[in-house]
Amino acid sequence: MAETHSLQDLQQPAVSSKVFIQRDYSSGTICKFQTKFPSELESRIGKQPFEETIQTLNNLYAEAEKLGGKSYLEGCLACLTAYTIFLCMETHYEKVLKKIARYIKDQNEKVYAPRGLLLTDPIERGLRVVEITIFEDRSIGSGR
Amino acid sequence: MLGGSSKSGGRGPSSSPLPHTVIQTSRPLRPSRYVPVSAATFFLVGSTTLFFCFTCPWLSERFSVAVPIYNGVIFLFVLANFYMATFMDPGIFPRAEEDEDKEDDFRAPLYKTVEIRGIQVRMKWCSTCRFYRPPRCSHCSVCDNCVEDFDHHCPWVNNCIGRRNYRYFFLFLLSLTAHILAVFGFGLLFILYHRQNIDRLHAIVTLAVMCVAGLFFIPVAGLTGFHIVLVARGRTTNEQVTGKFRGGVNPFTNGCWKNVSHVLCSSQAPRYLGRKKCVRNVCVQPPFLRPQLTEIQLAAKILDNGIQGDLHRSRSSLEMMESQSCDSEPPPPPKPELRYPGITRGNTEECSLLNKAPPTPTMYKYRPTYSPGKNHTALTHAYANQASQQPGFCSQPSLDRDDASDRTPGGRERSEGSREAGGGGGIPGYSLGGHSYPSFSDPTVLSGVTSGTSSSTHTSAGAVHISEATTSASFKSLANQTPPPHHTSRNGSLSYDNLLAGSDNFNKVAAEVAPEVSAGRPCTPAAASYSSPFLSSQQRDAELHSQSPHHHHHLTNPHHRFLHRSASSTPPPHPPTPEREHLLALPPPHHHHHHHHHHHSHHHHHHSSSSSSTSRPPRFSTPHLPTRHGYPYRTRSTDAPLGSTSTTHPAHSPHPPPLGKSLSYSSAAAAEMQYRLVRKASASAGANAALSQMKPLSQTNGGQPFFSPSFCSAPSSPSHLLSVSTQPGLAYTGAALQQSPTHKPQGNEVKKVTGLGGTTYEISV
Repeated sequence: MAETHSLQDLQQPAVSSKVFIQRDYSSGTICKFQTKFPSELESRIGKQPFEETIQTLNNLYAEAEKLGGKSYLEGCLACLTAYTIFLCMETHYEKVLKKIARYIKDQNEKVYAPRGLLLTDPIERGLRVVEITIFEDRSIGSGR
Repeated sequence: MLGGSSKSGGRGPSSSPLPHTVIQTSRPLRPSRYVPVSAATFFLVGSTTLFFCFTCPWLSERFSVAVPIYNGVIFLFVLANFYMATFMDPGIFPRAEEDEDKEDDFRAPLYKTVEIRGIQVRMKWCSTCRFYRPPRCSHCSVCDNCVEDFDHHCPWVNNCIGRRNYRYFFLFLLSLTAHILAVFGFGLLFILYHRQNIDRLHAIVTLAVMCVAGLFFIPVAGLTGFHIVLVARGRTTNEQVTGKFRGGVNPFTNGCWKNVSHVLCSSQAPRYLGRKKCVRNVCVQPPFLRPQLTEIQLAAKILDNGIQGDLHRSRSSLEMMESQSCDSEPPPPPKPELRYPGITRGNTEECSLLNKAPPTPTMYKYRPTYSPGKNHTALTHAYANQASQQPGFCSQPSLDRDDASDRTPGGRERSEGSREAGGGGGIPGYSLGGHSYPSFSDPTVLSGVTSGTSSSTHTSAGAVHISEATTSASFKSLANQTPPPHHTSRNGSLSYDNLLAGSDNFNKVAAEVAPEVSAGRPCTPAAASYSSPFLSSQQRDAELHSQSPHHHHHLTNPHHRFLHRSASSTPPPHPPTPEREHLLALPPPHHHHHHHHHHHSHHHHHHSSSSSSTSRPPRFSTPHLPTRHGYPYRTRSTDAPLGSTSTTHPAHSPHPPPLGKSLSYSSAAAAEMQYRLVRKASASAGANAALSQMKPLSQTNGGQPFFSPSFCSAPSSPSHLLSVSTQPGLAYTGAALQQSPTHKPQGNEVKKVTGLGGTTYEISV
């Protein structure tokens, strides 16, 4: 190659490590993640924004799993139409999941990417963990 | 339709809740799987078709057109639910990716305990899917998938019934029962009106359909009633059949009404497999923002340096340890009085030692060899019992610390001395702190020690090495996660956070122990001193135990509660599993080493007089210590719990008990170690009496009960765990060992360690 480019310029920074926020099962099997602040993120992000993110996610998942009139009506309708309604209609849970995906994307853009972190939607992991990717911070040369 | 189709995957990603099957590319086609579903389909569709063709026309004429319409609607309902139950993804978890697994590393506990509404629930490691199964999740062997809220695998629909399709299965059963009733009833009506023309084709067909309906009605109605009860109680078939909540409390129930509404009215759960992968186009580029260090954080950092850490240690040892463990730079060694018992190095290793391992029995997942299925049920109750007995699991390290500090200022000194005395031995002593669950921490400590000592932790030298590596690794990661807020949960029941934190601490302990052991191992006197107190204490324990066979019942110390309960709660272990056999294949000398470590962990008081009885210890310890890196402990520990669960094992073989039944892993491991150690010691010393006494002792709960009374010259109950016996009679013990706590060894330095009940021991360094 006639021109050399620094790898750093061309690619995203290398992944330093990953933190996994586990599920909080203290209230049963409802989808809830632990708000405990992992030590690996101490030097990257403050406790407040992190907890806020997790808390919002928990609230969104609680909304998705809520046993309300909406979900009941949806079930009745599905039953009456021999579940063919699912071919055209999106379920309540899926709607909230889309909302969550938008929220995570938004958080990544505004809060986490500037700090060298990246949230992964927990649905990709079967709602078992929230994966936070920590990127290397080459600018400071810490080699983390 | 429904019967013969195999699961085919690869459809485009969509969020539709309609059945979305997955391909099992490597699974061979098994035609036998499709026989039940084909038969079910045949009978259902065939019989109903005949009914509609032969019976319904006359009925609609004779009575009303509503009859076939009603039957048609019900049949449609049956078909729709049958289709959904058959083809819908039950809630399969996708396999965990490689990087998620790294945290658990090669060796990690087989079980993780989590508290759900105050009830300890065990999460098992799934070796196929490579994650800890969430509560109520189970791995279906037929489908080879972990299924969320696993109910059962239904052969009639050739599908697992899980969270997503349980509703359809339940409605299928209800509608099928209604359909069978309708078909049988209307057929009967037809026959009653055609008694004279019974030889007509229509009547014959109707009779045949009635027979089929009558035949299927009893099992279907029975199953329907069974599931109605399950739904009302909020249980899955799996839980009901395995008796998980028999006589206990179901943490997953919300009351009958809420349970029913959850099954029928909740929104359709999402699919995990085959989802559209969201394209992440977020640009992550340095420079990155950094959080501002607040004053609190700065103060914490100062504390972490250990300067003020010593001052806080007595108060909140766990917190201090956590902060230290997070430090990148090792704090300066604390003063001997304030140092954690037995720890001479002021670095993260100390923290790991201080942070005791979580009470989860360390059933290490030997991934290549371990067969999870065997042990699951067996261990369920055992572990659940044990877990339930240890509500304060996470708090134990801090409790130990606080108790130790509260009890005697010299306590730490002593444990510290013991640690110095015997490298690895001291470390276990430290971790035990004479309190609570030394048994649990022992395996991890020892494994950590061994892993530390052997640089090639992941060599194929044996399961022991492997287990060592895993232990240390797992504990390491766990130790790093210990959070300061851990405090609040310590006093209470075990929480998932605590579990993680505990395991972090444990890892650190393991890491710390390893260097200690390596330091101590080459040194013969250290080894000697390491081993001798163990032997002597063991022998004394054996002696005492024989004298007071039911002493373990007096264990009322809350710290030992779990040990006590675990001893009494589980039945004898099952036959060894393949993993166990693998462990058993380890050479015998490892046992001794194993016992050494384990025993030390339980008896952090290393009697100063140990050095005096050098004849035995060197023979006992020296040949073994250098060869074994303490790994056998890990392997053995997996086996040990099984043996230790039973309080009466007079005829129990010296082999490690099966893996399946561990109530108290650490206690069992301790018992195992003690048993073997004593056997060796008694064999060499000729104290056969002690051996026979030791045998049943080792099978008791963790062996600690018998240790404590035998050793303790202090009050019986608190001194259960680590008291040093002052009673003579154990042939092995030298005179020095049997002395009162104030006996001074003729060794070099003497460290004073205080065990439970205030008994102080002096350990020669």
